[in-house]
Amino acid sequence: MQFLRDARYTLHVAFHPFDGFWDLKYEERGRLRIALSILLAVTLTMILKRQFSGYVVNFNHPLELNSINELKYIIIPFLLWCVANWSLTTLMDGEGKFREIVIATGYAMMPLILVYVPNMLLSNVITLREASFYYVLETVAYLWFIWLLFIGTMTVHQYTVLKTIWTMLLTLVVIGVMIFLGLLFFSVIQQFVSFVYTIYQELTLRR
Amino acid sequence: MKQAFIILAAALLLASIRPAPAAAAPYEGYVYSYWGEAVHSPIAYLPSRSITGQEAGGEAWLAANDLFATADGLLYILDSESGSITVLDQEWQLASRIESFERDGEQDQFRNPEGLFVTPAGHIYVADTDNGRVIELGPGGEFIREIGAPESDVLSAGFTFFPRKVIVDKAGRIYVIARGVFDGIIEFDSDGVFTGFMGTNRVAFDPIDLFWKTISTQEQRDKMIRFVPIEFNNLALDQEGFIYTTTADRTSLSPVKRLNPSGIDVLRISDEYLAPIGDYSRVRSTFIDIDAAMSGVYRVLDSTRGRVFTYNEDGSLLYVVGGLGNQQGTFRSPVAIANYEDRLYVLDRDLGRVTEFEATRFGQLVNEANALYAGGKHHEAAGLWREVIKLDANYEMAYVGIGKSLLRQGEFQSALTYLKLGNDRIYYSKALAKYRREYMQENFGFYMTILLPILLVGFIGRTLMRRHRKEAQVHAVSQGR
Repeated sequence: MQFLRDARYTLHVAFHPFDGFWDLKYEERGRLRIALSILLAVTLTMILKRQFSGYVVNFNHPLELNSINELKYIIIPFLLWCVANWSLTTLMDGEGKFREIVIATGYAMMPLILVYVPNMLLSNVITLREASFYYVLETVAYLWFIWLLFIGTMTVHQYTVLKTIWTMLLTLVVIGVMIFLGLLFFSVIQQFVSFVYTIYQELTLRR
Repeated sequence: MKQAFIILAAALLLASIRPAPAAAAPYEGYVYSYWGEAVHSPIAYLPSRSITGQEAGGEAWLAANDLFATADGLLYILDSESGSITVLDQEWQLASRIESFERDGEQDQFRNPEGLFVTPAGHIYVADTDNGRVIELGPGGEFIREIGAPESDVLSAGFTFFPRKVIVDKAGRIYVIARGVFDGIIEFDSDGVFTGFMGTNRVAFDPIDLFWKTISTQEQRDKMIRFVPIEFNNLALDQEGFIYTTTADRTSLSPVKRLNPSGIDVLRISDEYLAPIGDYSRVRSTFIDIDAAMSGVYRVLDSTRGRVFTYNEDGSLLYVVGGLGNQQGTFRSPVAIANYEDRLYVLDRDLGRVTEFEATRFGQLVNEANALYAGGKHHEAAGLWREVIKLDANYEMAYVGIGKSLLRQGEFQSALTYLKLGNDRIYYSKALAKYRREYMQENFGFYMTILLPILLVGFIGRTLMRRHRKEAQVHAVSQGR
């Protein structure tokens, strides 16, 4: 029952973001499990969307659909965003804790579910001529999500508008740096492993 | 238990024996799916016979460069090395052989001729390349006229005329492709007077080259390669009098053009992602010859992989025949194609050989179905497309054909299934609109009978709930809580 009440609160956040995000932080209405459930639900929505959106707007090759990809495209960016945002705001006088950032980001993704699911059902009965409505709704969902993320970040860290925009852009840069470092790390490890293996081979083949 | 094992083993053994292919071909049949993937398809044409110069009763064709099949089944083979034309009849017996012709009482010969064309009346036009002229011969090989280099102010002073390919349309206009001419096809009127160029290829710009060109000096610029349009390398006339051209261009998406009489490209491409460019691979196909068949179908010859691609008038790939190799039905350096009825001829220059291909049952079905389909006879075509599907369940065009036919008959629901299988979103959408309307007309009453009571009950319930809550509040207040 408590879970349902918490879940219902996400709607309040989506429709009254200023009030909603304030209460998330200062009235302790935010729940980590709700945020993570939303993350899971978004992933599920995207998987369903790829499979079941109407043929007229669905350009996915059925043989190339892979649910694991959604992990790559949703969960990893989510985690990267949270970590990058936290790392950055700690240095930039942000007031948010890591937990609060995860909660705010999670709650901000609610519109994706709210719009994508009905849109997916709708797409099955529309023709090419009406397909533009589908794409408009997709864009609306996306902009709504960005808007909520913006308000969320601003409230959690108690930033001004400009500083929030600046921080969000910088967060994207930091994500880029993190991906770069990650790839570099893997590449170095790979080189290292192959180097050790070559030496091992050299020693075993030589007597 | 042991017995069961033996039976199982026997069953497995039987299952592993597959029927051998009915007729083994040295190449594989395939088409491209909507997703641009090569999908196996039955072989549409099989090699039936082949002939070399000696077998035709003459010298070997050392450098045969062009081939022409007339409407009555005669086959003309032009050998550049000896400058001779061999004419074969339908049974491939030597009908005639032209090695020289008499002109004003003197014997004259071709020098390295590269192209020939035969009019419906049997007149032979030869692009006599190294002599810089086009020769018209009568049906018996007698000299009629010579068409020399075009005379015009637009041509530079040092222009030398090397005609490579020639065609003549119904009105007698002569179209010539010449080596080193980038302005397009050279057009002569029926009297052999130069009238102009048509159908120029556009210059393809490379942004990087353009950048270097803008920052370099005049001296540097003079030494660079000039941006010139790629020249056409072959041409063919179709039934409607339009000209198909090919370009050995591996970068653009339009190596094939269909020019109308004013030189504008009117080639139909239904799916721009699946343009008729041959193989969709990193190393692109190089088209070197084109031939128009019946009902808007055209075939192009790819010299990179020695394949003949056959497209319908919408630019959809119907089937692929041939390949490089050493067996009958494959080529070493194919240079020209021709077709007559359900037969396809490919000329191989290095082997000096003409190979004939005959349509298999699959090829015939596709040809017939496509002809009906192109003529708008969707219902008749659908019957044949169903036969095609029995042979090849992956043939998308067949599903689209059946889907369109069902759509016209008003079978919207099954049309949807077929159009989805054929990956035709435009017609799927049309069928969906009609199906939706039909469905709502039939079921509107049913949904309303369900929806209205639900709404009614919901509304009444809500009003009651509110009244109840209000009463409870009033009660609580009056109780002083």
